Amino acid sequence: MKNSKLFWTITIFSFVLFGLFNLFRQGEAETPKVPAPPQVAIDSTKCIAPADSMRANHMQVLYKWRNSSVRTGHRVHVAANGSRFEKSLNTCLGCHDNKLFCFNCHMYANVKPKCWNCHLSPMETP
Amino acid sequence: MMNQQRREFIKKTAFGVLAGFGAASGLVPAFSLEKTILPVWDETPVSGKIRWGMLIDTRKCKKDCQICVTACHHEHNVPHFKTRKDEIKWIWKNSYKNIFPTATDQFVTSDVLNRSFLALCNHCVDAPCTRACPTEATFKRWDGIVAMDYHRCIGCRFCMAACPYGSRSFNWQDPRTAIHDPSLAYPTRQQGVVEKCNFCSDRLVRGLQPACLEACPEQVFTFGDLNDPQSDIRMLLETTVTMQRKPELGTKPSVFYII
Repeated sequence: MKNSKLFWTITIFSFVLFGLFNLFRQGEAETPKVPAPPQVAIDSTKCIAPADSMRANHMQVLYKWRNSSVRTGHRVHVAANGSRFEKSLNTCLGCHDNKLFCFNCHMYANVKPKCWNCHLSPMETP
Repeated sequence: MMNQQRREFIKKTAFGVLAGFGAASGLVPAFSLEKTILPVWDETPVSGKIRWGMLIDTRKCKKDCQICVTACHHEHNVPHFKTRKDEIKWIWKNSYKNIFPTATDQFVTSDVLNRSFLALCNHCVDAPCTRACPTEATFKRWDGIVAMDYHRCIGCRFCMAACPYGSRSFNWQDPRTAIHDPSLAYPTRQQGVVEKCNFCSDRLVRGLQPACLEACPEQVFTFGDLNDPQSDIRMLLETTVTMQRKPELGTKPSVFYII
C-alpha cells in the first residue's frame, strides 16, 4: 500500500517536471541556423507518367533525377499533369511498395543496374 | 543460444524503430502513405549565394572524446575497417603537429600540443580535388560544399593525391562488410569509390545542422553561411583570431579553428 502510494507520487511528480521542462524549452525557441525547406505538396497517389512510358523510360527519368538533384540541387519534379514529386528513389518506392517491384522485371530481363550497391534496396529495408 | 536470440531480437527491434523514425521524418516514406507534404526545395538554388562554413573551437574539445566522430560515421554509414590502409574517415582527430604541419609559430604552448584537433574536409573555395577529378565526380556545389557524386566516381584516386589535407578515403573493399550499425538516413558507398565528408548536405536539405555539431556536448562547432555577415560563424570570425589548415596553399578552406 505504502509502496504504491510512493510510486504514484513519483510518477505524477515526474510528469509535472517533464511538462514544466517542455514549457521552458518552447520559450527559448531559437531562430533556425539552417533555412528549413518550404512545404511542397507531394502527391504520391499519381504516377509521374503513364505506365507504358515509365516501363520504357524509367532509366532516363532516374538518370535525369539523380543528375539534377545531386549536381544542380533541383529536387522537385513537375510531371506533365502538374503534380509534383521529390526526386528521390524513395518517391518511387513509397508508391511501388511491393518489395519485388524492381527485381521481378530486372531478373526476367537479366538487367543488373547498380542502384543497390549503395542505396538500400527494398529487400534490405524493413 | 539464448543470448544469440536476444541479440537478434534487439537488432530487429532497433531496425524497426529506426524505420519508424525515418517514416516520421519523411525520409523513408511510410508505405501506402497516400498524400504527403514533404519539405522540399522547390527551386534550383542560386549558385554562390550561400557558402557554408564551420568553425571549430579547439579549446572546448575534449581530448579523448569521439562523440562527433561516432555520430558522423554512424549517420553516413562510414565503414570501420581495422587496418590503416583500408581506413575510411570523414571526420577524425589528430595532434596539432599533424593537423597544422606548416604552422610557423615556434614555441607552441604545451596545452595546445596536448590537445587533439578535429579534421574534416575543408570544402575549399579553390578545391584542388575538383580540378584533379577527370570525371567531375567531385565538384563544387552551389552552396560552397565540395560534393562527391558517387555515381560518377571511377576510383582513380587523383583527388586523394590532390587533397593536401588527407580528407579523402578510398574503398578498397566492399564497405558494407564493415558497417556494424547501419543507418537508414544515408546510402552506403561501394567498392572502388573515394569518399569524404559532405558537410552533411543530406541534412542541410532537410533544414538540419551537421551531425557532428548536433552530437557535440561541448558546443565545439559553429556552422553557418560565410556569405552572411550576420551569421553566428561570421560574428565569431569577426571577434576571435582563427586559423586554417595550410592557408599558404591558397585553397581557402571553409573550416576555421580557434586555437
